Amino acid sequence: MMQLPRHPSTGFLLYETMIAMAIFSAISLGLMMGFTSLERNLAATTSFATNHTDAMRISDYLALDLRRALSVQSTQNDTRVTIPDYYDANGDPRTPQLDGEGGVYYGSNGSSVQVRYYLFNGTIYRRQNLGTPVAIAENVSDFVFTVTDLGKVVTTKITFKPRFRSSGASQAVIDGTAVYNTTLLRNGSTGG
Amino acid sequence: MRLTFHSQERGSVLLWTVLVIAILSVFATEVLRAVSGRFQLGMQAAAWQEALIAAESGIDLGVVELRKSLYPAPNHAWDGWNNIPGNGVVSHGLVTIPNAGLGGTPMTIEVNVDAPAQLVDPSNGWQYYRLRTLGSMPLTGPPRIAFNKNDNKLRKLTLRVQRFIDTLFTSEGNTPHASRRLEAIVKPVSSFGLAVLAVSTLDLNNQNIVIDSFDSRDPAKSTNGLYDVAKRQENGDIATDGNLIQAGNAHVYGDVATNSGTVTGVSNISGVQRTDFYQAPIPIGEPVWPSINPSPATVNGSATLTASATEGSAMSRYRLSAISISGSQTLTIAGNPDGSPSYIELYVTGNISVAGTSQIILGDGVKAKIYFSGNVDIAGKGVLNPANQPEDLLLYGVQPTDTTPRHVSLGGNGQITAAVYAPDYDVTVNGGGSDGHVFGSVVGKTVAMTGVTNLHYDEALAASGIINNYEIVSWVEDTR
Repeated sequence: MMQLPRHPSTGFLLYETMIAMAIFSAISLGLMMGFTSLERNLAATTSFATNHTDAMRISDYLALDLRRALSVQSTQNDTRVTIPDYYDANGDPRTPQLDGEGGVYYGSNGSSVQVRYYLFNGTIYRRQNLGTPVAIAENVSDFVFTVTDLGKVVTTKITFKPRFRSSGASQAVIDGTAVYNTTLLRNGSTGG
Repeated sequence: MRLTFHSQERGSVLLWTVLVIAILSVFATEVLRAVSGRFQLGMQAAAWQEALIAAESGIDLGVVELRKSLYPAPNHAWDGWNNIPGNGVVSHGLVTIPNAGLGGTPMTIEVNVDAPAQLVDPSNGWQYYRLRTLGSMPLTGPPRIAFNKNDNKLRKLTLRVQRFIDTLFTSEGNTPHASRRLEAIVKPVSSFGLAVLAVSTLDLNNQNIVIDSFDSRDPAKSTNGLYDVAKRQENGDIATDGNLIQAGNAHVYGDVATNSGTVTGVSNISGVQRTDFYQAPIPIGEPVWPSINPSPATVNGSATLTASATEGSAMSRYRLSAISISGSQTLTIAGNPDGSPSYIELYVTGNISVAGTSQIILGDGVKAKIYFSGNVDIAGKGVLNPANQPEDLLLYGVQPTDTTPRHVSLGGNGQITAAVYAPDYDVTVNGGGSDGHVFGSVVGKTVAMTGVTNLHYDEALAASGIINNYEIVSWVEDTR
């Protein structure tokens, strides 16, 4: 029986094809797992960075009002700050008046503006008196912000749950995300 | 001869390489986008925070000029500013500090100080000042907004066009920058804001002294304007710019403060104990009066000086080379016969000596200010202050022009009711009558108390005397 000559380009044997597919599958699987992991890592890192940015913004918002605060009342995720009634109805600054006790006031004596920060439906709002609440951070249902009155200064602490593990974050990890801020109350007094 | 299937294999490898690079590039682009945006946000936030520092520095600059204005002339206050602040007159200052910011950016500080008529305290005529400041910092990097609109709402950065035009300030432009605007109100602080202030050592000796306060203006804090132990207040603060208070087992109804120092022998402090105190006392310059009552030119023996119903009038001002009385001599400062308020100012260029059983007697209604350049030794029967109001007898030690030590020794067997401000003098308070009570306030280079069992600080003194400082009573950020 005569053997036909084989040409290299005519095709692969079954076992060659299977080996090639196995190698391709292994490489593809590895690449896919790598890319998936990268993607997850990127998403978690982006989420962490976004949350951290949100925390810094919340902290800056709080500090903005706390610096000029006349009084501060706070519970977890709910802080009320009273600030001077600095603007008139046109939004222009008022001229201060002496209160006769060594201090000054804006507007009428004893008047102030209440600013409230609170978490509602995954959004942290800033609301001034009974005005329309302004969202300052969205998609932050896992955020916890606390304001602690230490007398002449107040400290704020903001935490969130990072998403690096599908099993969730431990309390220690959550605490590790804390953004702290200590603010001197320029107007001196705290308490309701 | 070259085979074609070699070229096909190369093409396959190239395809794979391009594919992998493309995928990695997508990741890299996304990472770069995320990182650069956040880096930009971080830089913008830093500039925004630095702008606050700049604006607060502006308040400091204004307060420094106000404090300089308290010093004896020439004090060079408001040099480099366009005006001296007043009612309707804004004093404007502009300072640029190079390389102050992150990335070596310059810090711009603009300050406007004025003195609105509404901010004059009607009780003593003291002017409060309004300081409005702008701090701005350039933004580095491309002028683009943040990912999150909430960051833009908070920081209100100027990126291409000046975001907010406030006619009060002129230094802002269209260049990318962060700015913060503040308004602070500062009020004058009296030289008698504390019960006792020593520039150096404060020694209360071992008399178990009780230091507390009352307010002669407030019936809830005094009885008929006088100290009442049942209405004792807890503002009898004592402090030193030095590092030692020897309290001698004192009971202080108030705060105790040192400059990084220690307090020994305090049995009880109702307030707080601080170690971060420093208050540079403003020196007293020689009184410069356009005209005076020329007679007498000195007091050496019994004499009578007459106060005037008009405060600051020439007839109420005397320049004496010395006061020296002894034996049973008296120096009487006569007021109006009906006891209505009358005023007198004495400038004693030499020493004041009250010895033997002699006495200085203030008439009813007399409010006396005594400036002195020499030593003061008051013994004998001391000074009779009939209304027992410390505000009625204010003693000021003029800053010496030489280095010879000066002292004030305040004693006698009468009750001591006075306020002493002599930051260049060693002040000793002796006795205070049979029960050792002293009413008033004492400021000295050093302060020592001997035989004093009680010091009652009158809080009304905080609204009288010379202005020694300015403190912020209101702070608002303009967030428009």
